Amino acid sequence: MPSVSIRNLTVAYNKGRTLALDNFNLDVEDGEFCVFLGPSGCGKTTALLCIAGLLVPTTGSIKIGDQVVISEDKKTFVAPQERNIAMVFQEYALYPSMTVRGNMSFALENKKYSKEEIERKVNSIASMLGIEQLLDRKPAQLSGGQRQRVALGRALVRDPSLFLLDEPLGNLDAKLREQVRFELKRIQRRLGVTTIYVTHDQTEAMTLADRIVLMRDGKVVQEGSPKDLYHKPINTFVAGFVGTPRINFLTCDVSVKEGRPYFAFGQSALPGSQALAVTLNGKSCVVGIRPSDFMLVDTTEPEAIKGKVEVVEPLGDEIVVHFTAEDQLLVGKFSAADEEKVNERIAVKVDPDKLHIFDAETGDRIDG
Amino acid sequence: MAGALPLSKTQKLLHALYYMLLFIFAVFYLLPFWGAVTTSLKSSAEVFTTSPLSFPEKLTLEGYRAAFNHLKKPLLNSLIITAGGTFFSVLLGSICGYAFAQYRFKFDNVIFVLVVSAIFLPYQAILVPLFQTIRRLGLYDTVWGLILAHTAYGIPMMTLLFRSFYGDIPRCIVQQAMLDGYRPWAIYRRIILPSTKIATVTAVVFQFASIWNELLFSLVLTGYDAMPATVSLNQMMGTLAAEWNVQMAGSMWLALPILVLYIIMGKYLIRGYMAGSVAAT
Ligand SMILES: Nc1ncnc2c1ncn2[C@@H]1O[C@H](COP(=O)(O)OP(=O)(O)OP(=O)(O)O)[C@@H](O)[C@H]1O
Ligand SMILES: [Mg+2]
Repeated sequence: MPSVSIRNLTVAYNKGRTLALDNFNLDVEDGEFCVFLGPSGCGKTTALLCIAGLLVPTTGSIKIGDQVVISEDKKTFVAPQERNIAMVFQEYALYPSMTVRGNMSFALENKKYSKEEIERKVNSIASMLGIEQLLDRKPAQLSGGQRQRVALGRALVRDPSLFLLDEPLGNLDAKLREQVRFELKRIQRRLGVTTIYVTHDQTEAMTLADRIVLMRDGKVVQEGSPKDLYHKPINTFVAGFVGTPRINFLTCDVSVKEGRPYFAFGQSALPGSQALAVTLNGKSCVVGIRPSDFMLVDTTEPEAIKGKVEVVEPLGDEIVVHFTAEDQLLVGKFSAADEEKVNERIAVKVDPDKLHIFDAETGDRIDG
Repeated sequence: MAGALPLSKTQKLLHALYYMLLFIFAVFYLLPFWGAVTTSLKSSAEVFTTSPLSFPEKLTLEGYRAAFNHLKKPLLNSLIITAGGTFFSVLLGSICGYAFAQYRFKFDNVIFVLVVSAIFLPYQAILVPLFQTIRRLGLYDTVWGLILAHTAYGIPMMTLLFRSFYGDIPRCIVQQAMLDGYRPWAIYRRIILPSTKIATVTAVVFQFASIWNELLFSLVLTGYDAMPATVSLNQMMGTLAAEWNVQMAGSMWLALPILVLYIIMGKYLIRGYMAGSVAAT
């Protein structure tokens, strides 16, 4: 049974001139960790507000569990108070007059938990998030990252049927972010509570999600597991959004030689997979190459792409190499063990099956 | 608290000039007050023989005693009327302001403009209908009549004031409280009021001072029983024309509660209370 079902959700602002959500459809499974990923302004927060009941959509219906919380005709509407949803707002929304402890126990007080139980829950979540020494402070006396952890803690102490988290780690430093990310995933696993998590950081999405919903302009562009999105992006937008360093795009003309397609750019040509030969013959298309799919080869190797190294970024056990080939700036990621092969000039090859081929006009993926 | 930045020479010079100007203005404004204080402490005889600004040769509370005997009942009336009028106008204005600031409903803007436009109704324009209404209600010359009048007259201003204070509370805080399971009334009591104590203090001080000092409604809506101190003091001017010390002492009695209020409430009038509840944007 899906835990959240959204049908034809549309939210129009400015008398219909801005469509924050445009016919948005989604099913989130019970216990799933679902991440809304997309550029700023694509409607992520708007979708959360609709699910929480804080915004009434222009059209569309939403079901949480087996309860319709808003029906298409709007005759059924369940108030936010009745939805048992814990949300972390992008802007934290801490209660200014209450201490951290007060903030975290506020929802529990309303649910008639005993004093001891509230105390125990608050303390355990606070120590997990490293804010136990801040419990008696007011929000004004906290740093941005501390406030964000309080906001997250306030959601985690509850026993909701649904978590809605709007960029809950945006203000943490890299180390803390990784640590809290891990804790969050662990709690979510343990509680088994369906979670919708909003971010525009694709690394966060890839590491946390059971399923990613990639959005643009209020629409779902692609949804699937992080692997799906990484290995089978349905268009250039998805390919460019997911994966770091960013995927390389080359606009190429295709010619077929001995049943094998070749993607020509400049004086070079990349051999492609034979399965695509018939579909692509004579067309022009966009080829996407993940930086990690480049393989370093000897500069004398035939059919290799030769390039001039511009910048090398060492990342410890990996190196990121920016190089130009045929006047195109490309990025490759290699094992640090291969560093001695990277001199002034390099030669690279790509496994034909690892190329992502997109239509040059529509940007849609072309599969064999 | 971080220290202030060091000042340059020209800035120091400018500061000195500012303070000199401020001092001159302060003397100018305090002179009448000084006159009132000294006169109020003189005996009736001394008032005629000395300059109003000179220090009393013999300090006496004679004036204060006489004035208090005269103003006892009116002062008590004033206190009841002002407390009641302040309480109800601040409470109702605050609730209205909360509704207009945080909730959207049909015709909300139209209703708001209607309510607030009452601020611009001239005092005198409503005097006659007000008098008739209060008399029909059987509230003429009662403290309740004046409390009702001041409450009604105060609500628009208080609504405007509180709406702007409560409008500064980010919507997401109210939304968060809704998701935490709280209804509008509980949100008002547990989130809105405690986060805006300064707003309430400001409103209370404002209403208290204006109702306490109000003369026109009081003149028209009371006879003898519910007469507030402003009216009574005004009458004293006529009947005790020569006794300046008693009159000045009466003014002092009248000014006293406002002074006390400012001193007590002053420390609450600090800023920056909302800081830290939302992400800086
Ligand atoms: N109250 C509003 N009135 C008018 N337009 C709005 C309103 N709220 C949001 N929008 C518009 O709706 C669109 C979606 O906004 P939304 O806040 O959902 O974006 P988002 O995906 O959360 O972005 P971000 O990552 O920056 O938080 C934007 O174009 C925004 O300008
Ligand atoms: Mg947002």
